[in-house]
Amino acid sequence: MHILLQRVAVACVSLVFVFWTLDAQERTNAFAASMQAFKERVQGYMDLRGMIAQSLPRVQETGDPAKISTREKNLGIAIAKARSAAKVGDVFGDMTPHLQRILAEDWKSRTPADRKALFDEVPPGLTLTVNQSYPATIPLVSAPARLLAQLPVLPEMLEYRLVNRRLLLRDRDANVIVDVVVGVLPTGSR
Amino acid sequence: MKTRIHNAVLALGLVLAVLMPGTAPSPTMQPPVLAQAQARAPAAAANEATPPVEEDSVRLAIIGDSGTGTRSQFEVGAQMARARQRFPFEFVIMLGDNIYGSERPQDFAQKFEKPYEPLLTAKVPFYASLGNHDDPTQRYYKPFNMDGERFYAFTKGNARFFALDSNYMDQAQLKWLETELSRSNDRWKVAYFHHPLYSSGGRHGSETDLRALVEPLFIKYGVDVVFAGHEHFYERIKPQKGIYYFIAGGSAKLRRGDLRRGPLTAAGLDTDYTFMLAELGKDVMRFQALTRAGRLVDTGALPLQPEPKRQDDAQSRAR
Repeated sequence: MHILLQRVAVACVSLVFVFWTLDAQERTNAFAASMQAFKERVQGYMDLRGMIAQSLPRVQETGDPAKISTREKNLGIAIAKARSAAKVGDVFGDMTPHLQRILAEDWKSRTPADRKALFDEVPPGLTLTVNQSYPATIPLVSAPARLLAQLPVLPEMLEYRLVNRRLLLRDRDANVIVDVVVGVLPTGSR
Repeated sequence: MKTRIHNAVLALGLVLAVLMPGTAPSPTMQPPVLAQAQARAPAAAANEATPPVEEDSVRLAIIGDSGTGTRSQFEVGAQMARARQRFPFEFVIMLGDNIYGSERPQDFAQKFEKPYEPLLTAKVPFYASLGNHDDPTQRYYKPFNMDGERFYAFTKGNARFFALDSNYMDQAQLKWLETELSRSNDRWKVAYFHHPLYSSGGRHGSETDLRALVEPLFIKYGVDVVFAGHEHFYERIKPQKGIYYFIAGGSAKLRRGDLRRGPLTAAGLDTDYTFMLAELGKDVMRFQALTRAGRLVDTGALPLQPEPKRQDDAQSRAR
């Protein structure tokens, strides 16, 4: 009887372990699949952007800031026009919950002073969405280096930016918001 | 009567010293750290830049958080031009927040070209890094000499300069930095960027996130000096793990009373606008921090620290 109980216990523990392993494996597979799909959508955006950029004067160093700002503006307008039907989540897709989790964990790891310093220069009411441009007069929140190390790598022309409770995917040279994850940080964090 | 006049003159002097910092230096009115720093300065150099000491040294000026287009920026710009007559620096490095607010063509004129016109006319090149108030497209603005890159490196004499984008320290930049640092055999390695790894600022403070990623590389590859801005004051940090750190973010903006002098502070000033001059010699870096009125805030000579490679070389020679 004693041996039978022992065997049942071992079997139960083994089953739990197998289910736990399968669950972890599934989660890993789901993350990998989401990541792969996200990369493909980013590449899709980059292809579209490449085509639009080709139709504009090539970017090069110049002493005339008007040429730089005109190109930035025209590129942003052309991208927003080509993606006029784009909506929140089109690029992030099912990476969204993964990103929310990464951001929430990162936020928890920061001291109150760190959190305050992060959004120090951003007006509390600022909310941005897809196809808008980032306001020229408002400083960009520096993307925390430790957080960046955990987020999926982007092509050089794209960047992540935090604004209040939103994670933006921003086109660096077109100054246009490509996508947004809403509610990535707890309420009260702006 | 004589005593009364004396007292009145003294009182007037004190009022002037409080109302017009930089114009009426008075040892009794200075903050303790400033007084301490000046005590180290040569007496003859108390009110303006001192000439360079070594013949083949690399001479530069350093400004941070400069792009306001306000009177303070113009005053610092004018003082830099005056300082250059005694200390002929070859170039200027910019620690970010190069253009505050809107970035229309007229802003580039008002917030960069006009304040530094005498230097630009004298063909003194500026090498910018990006701050959180800067649109990254500034890297295409030719007078900033960024070669179209957010982060880049250049060599002057015996020194290699690494201009980083501390707003966005992604994997690509870290990889680039490690490669560039590992390739550099230059005598001096100088890194500069916007956010300070060490700071006694009350509003921002040290950027510990950034520090965790870049400091190990600085140590591993022997970076000697780091300049940063972001904090609107001047601070010289006590050497950290063999590296000299400076904050020079008060070249047009000022956050009075924000410098919380503490264990990190070697010297500092948060009551007037400042810029720096530096001379990288064979074995010593000499530096000066000056106000817009040309008053010396801090000065010193810092020896080149032994870097890992030099230690290895010395060990192999000894063997």
